[in-house]
Amino acid sequence: MTGSTPSPHEITRLLIDWSNGSQDALAHLSPLVYEELCRLAHRYMSRERPGHTLQTTAVVHEAYLRLIDQKHVQWQNRAHFFAIAAQMMRRILITHAQSHAYAKRGGGALKVPLDEAAILSPTRAGELIALDEALQSLAVIDVRRSQVVELRFFGGLSNEEIAEVLKVSPNTVTRDWNVAKAWLYREMNKEHDDES
Amino acid sequence: MNPERWQQASRILEIALERQPERRAAYLDEVCANDAELRREVESLLAASAQAGSLLDSPAMAMAAPLFVHDSVKMVLGQSIGRYKILTALGTGGMGVVYLAYDTRLGRKIALKLLSTHFTTDKDRLLRFEQEAHAASTLSHPNICMIHEVGETEDARHFIAMEYIDGVTLRQHMTEARMKLSEVLDVAVQVASGLAASHEVGVVHRDIKPENIMLRHDGYVKVLDFGLAKLTEQPTSDVTTPAGVRVSTDIGVVMGTSGYMSPEQTRGLPVDARTDIWSLGVVLYEMVTGGAPFEGATKSDVIVSVLEREPSSLICHLPEVPAELQRIVSKALCKEREGRYEVVKEMLLELKSLKQELEFEARLQRPEQPELSSDEIGNAEVNVEAAHNIGTQTKETQTARTTLSTEAEKSSLQPRNRLRWFAFVALSLAILAVIGIAVYLLAIRSEAIDSIAVLPFVNVNANPDMEYLSDGITDSLINSLSQVPRLRMIARSSVFRYKGKEVDPQTVGRELSVRAILLGRVTQHGDNLSISAELVDARDNTRIWGEEYSRRLSDVLQVQEEISREISDKLRLKLTGEEQKLVAKRYTENVEAYQLYLKGRFYSNKKNEESLKRGVDYFQQAIDKDPNYALAYTGLADSYSTLGSIFLSALPPREAMVKTKLAAQKAVDLDDTLAEAHTSLAEQKFRGDWDWSGAEREFKRALALNPNYTRAHEQYSQYLVAMGRFEESFAECKRAQALDPVSPRANMELGFAYYFAGRYDQAIEEYQRALELDPNFLNAHWLLGFAYANKSMFEQASAESRKAVELSGHGPGALGGLGSVYAIAGRRDEAQQVIAELKELAKQRYVSPYSVAAIYALLGDKDAAFEWLEKAYSDGAYGILFLKSTPEWDNLRSEPRFQDIMRRVGLQQ
Repeated sequence: MTGSTPSPHEITRLLIDWSNGSQDALAHLSPLVYEELCRLAHRYMSRERPGHTLQTTAVVHEAYLRLIDQKHVQWQNRAHFFAIAAQMMRRILITHAQSHAYAKRGGGALKVPLDEAAILSPTRAGELIALDEALQSLAVIDVRRSQVVELRFFGGLSNEEIAEVLKVSPNTVTRDWNVAKAWLYREMNKEHDDES
Repeated sequence: MNPERWQQASRILEIALERQPERRAAYLDEVCANDAELRREVESLLAASAQAGSLLDSPAMAMAAPLFVHDSVKMVLGQSIGRYKILTALGTGGMGVVYLAYDTRLGRKIALKLLSTHFTTDKDRLLRFEQEAHAASTLSHPNICMIHEVGETEDARHFIAMEYIDGVTLRQHMTEARMKLSEVLDVAVQVASGLAASHEVGVVHRDIKPENIMLRHDGYVKVLDFGLAKLTEQPTSDVTTPAGVRVSTDIGVVMGTSGYMSPEQTRGLPVDARTDIWSLGVVLYEMVTGGAPFEGATKSDVIVSVLEREPSSLICHLPEVPAELQRIVSKALCKEREGRYEVVKEMLLELKSLKQELEFEARLQRPEQPELSSDEIGNAEVNVEAAHNIGTQTKETQTARTTLSTEAEKSSLQPRNRLRWFAFVALSLAILAVIGIAVYLLAIRSEAIDSIAVLPFVNVNANPDMEYLSDGITDSLINSLSQVPRLRMIARSSVFRYKGKEVDPQTVGRELSVRAILLGRVTQHGDNLSISAELVDARDNTRIWGEEYSRRLSDVLQVQEEISREISDKLRLKLTGEEQKLVAKRYTENVEAYQLYLKGRFYSNKKNEESLKRGVDYFQQAIDKDPNYALAYTGLADSYSTLGSIFLSALPPREAMVKTKLAAQKAVDLDDTLAEAHTSLAEQKFRGDWDWSGAEREFKRALALNPNYTRAHEQYSQYLVAMGRFEESFAECKRAQALDPVSPRANMELGFAYYFAGRYDQAIEEYQRALELDPNFLNAHWLLGFAYANKSMFEQASAESRKAVELSGHGPGALGGLGSVYAIAGRRDEAQQVIAELKELAKQRYVSPYSVAAIYALLGDKDAAFEWLEKAYSDGAYGILFLKSTPEWDNLRSEPRFQDIMRRVGLQQ
């Protein structure tokens, strides 16, 4: 069922390379992480009973444990791994939110046992899209603060972990977060006003 | 804002945010002293910060995991496990994901359960599971889901290949409606039969629950997952838990649902066949009352309830429950297994005899049973509505069962039931998805279905206001299915003659020479819509597929897409991605616009002036709702074009054409891939611009986009007639006819082509055929008049023309026809009288000058004929288009004035 995946050793190497700034390593790593997240989420789902909520944190954490050779990494690398996961989660959430209008189409050969609509309410999907757009605008003028939001909101990273990934102090992360939040709030509501 | 400016503002904001709110103004005074703009910026951000509140507080990641699952399912599709090719996911169960797979060796579809590795890491447990599963795989009984194979994949994942069951789980069935007593007993008897057979060979199920009981559409009940519970069971006291295996107390006991486990199983004691008797008792209780006997807010509460509490008696829930049933349930639910039935067979016999008894009583009572009172029906609707509100996914039609029982009709939904629904929505959705996909590979039929007729969906409420919806859904289905390549779709007009009639699919199949018939019903309850569809093999009336969709009225778009996609899947046509897109193409996202569009089509299809104008109105409203709705523009274009026809003369043709042009061009601009749009544009170029090559290009483009679009063939055939390319025109008509075999319209078009080709006998034959199909078909009477007249069959000719005049309510088009017939017949006075009448009529409304010109031409009054022909020319009358071939002008063809007009129109002889 599974294709040939790089060994934990190789993946660990990629993670360390990326932590040291290699964008190329990130490009290689992303799809692997994405696939692993899907696989694990799937497996988790399989053993949850109806009514149980699938814990994303648990999924990401297990992906980390499975993909990365713990003996060769430091805790800082874990933060980097979670940063990749944050990107993946932002991507998957936005993709699904965008296709939300089409999500309930169901039907056909690709019907899946989960109704996307049940996961993302239309309001939530709309919010996510608005947020993503605002976040993109923020990235134009202020990359770091947009990353802080991505890591915290999409990736669930703690301020300390974010600080590690972005190589700044945790206090800066806290301040960045507050500023970014104000800016995003204004940006998102500005668009609303325009529409009405 | 540029980054530098932002850095400045954000720095100030950061500091301001760290100060007490009342001290911020002073700070801003200080730092923004000379920069009012900067100050405004920071102040606005400060205000935003105060309002942002909980924005972004809950990380979105919680929602990500289910989406990863969603994507992961797509990843495995199409892969193979040994000889099984995975087609789609059916659902997730307690032990792994279940896929619909295709057994390439035996050529059948199967359900493939891929066990989660979580369960297979413990070797002991795995061994016991394998033994059990192998034992279970020897079971062969109509009420047991057959296990075909238990195996291991290359990457050491365990799987079970089992019989694929096309149906719904009992869980899902129960969430839809309360079950009727007779149905409850039927299901219980079948489950007990399956259990009796497995117990006989020593296989205990251990996890009987509604999720493991499938109701097949033909009425068979199948019990799933025999012995698989072994895999999920907590090791009993004699087996020590190996270190490292994650057995939390929460997950510990059994992966099943605690509420169905017997007390001994709950306590982790060894179990025997009597545990299944208990579980069946629980299921039976739930089927009767709609709620589980042992409930609790937490798992521990449920366990306490199972161990200690007596469930409330059935009579509390359902007063008419027979005492005997209460006795059976109580006996099955005895806490001490010694007090239960010793063997399930005993329980089976009692259930059976109770069932027979009730059936006998029912037979005795049936003649006196009153019809449901309207009150009761009202209640039933409340039930249905509530169910629809919750179950938005597809719902399989219950052919073998009645979904609504008298009991259900009498009892309204209890809050508890609602909760249960919510609790099981996820599961239900999963199972429901089965159905959608079941369609994919249903019965393996010897030949693919290559032709299909969609019969008009029945408007069950018989509410005329909803007719647009039932007709519209039919139209949309025809439309989207006609996009399926290599599938011959019968066009609208051919199928609509069956509207409102009781039909036998086999007969219809013969009449239309199609392989399959799609039938459907639309029921509306308030804002809820229930659409059922059924695909029937016309050779033997067997049901190929059927499904019921319960949706909000606002979801009508989605249902239509689902149906068409599922049917096309069903037809085993291998669609390319592009083609799939076409089939499921959604033309608008605005539901109101769509409904207005449907109304527009409904009215414009009637093709009389009043309806067409109403159609225009609706299309316009649809466009107002969705200004990018290309299809609505084509509806508008086509309606205007028809309103400008000689026959209707409802609008001056120039005006009609300007409107057609605007709408058609807009449609093409909006969606260049829409055959309808190119057809509308072609029609406009042909009728309005006299742009012959442009028109032909558009027709060809339209037909390339959708060779099944009948209107394109029809209009193109008229174009070819105008060009004098008769053979090609006949071919187009025949293509239209193949798509629309019993359409009066297709016959009329062919008759029209024959007429201009001078083949009057054939024309008459076609017109007569059209009239057989629709005796009140105005245009056919009108045209038949001309054909008879040219055959010098004047009596018949004037009879037909008069009929047209009468049917049209003395419309100018029909009247003109009558005048022409009189003129050909040499009845000059009467012809002159018609001319006078037309001129009089022209004072009140638009009358095509062409009608008058033609009569003068036939009377030999050259000057008058050319005078009126000039008027027709400047009005852009459609009659001008056919000057090249029409027999009306045969005597004047050599006239320079005629030649001149021909030249100006661009039709050289």
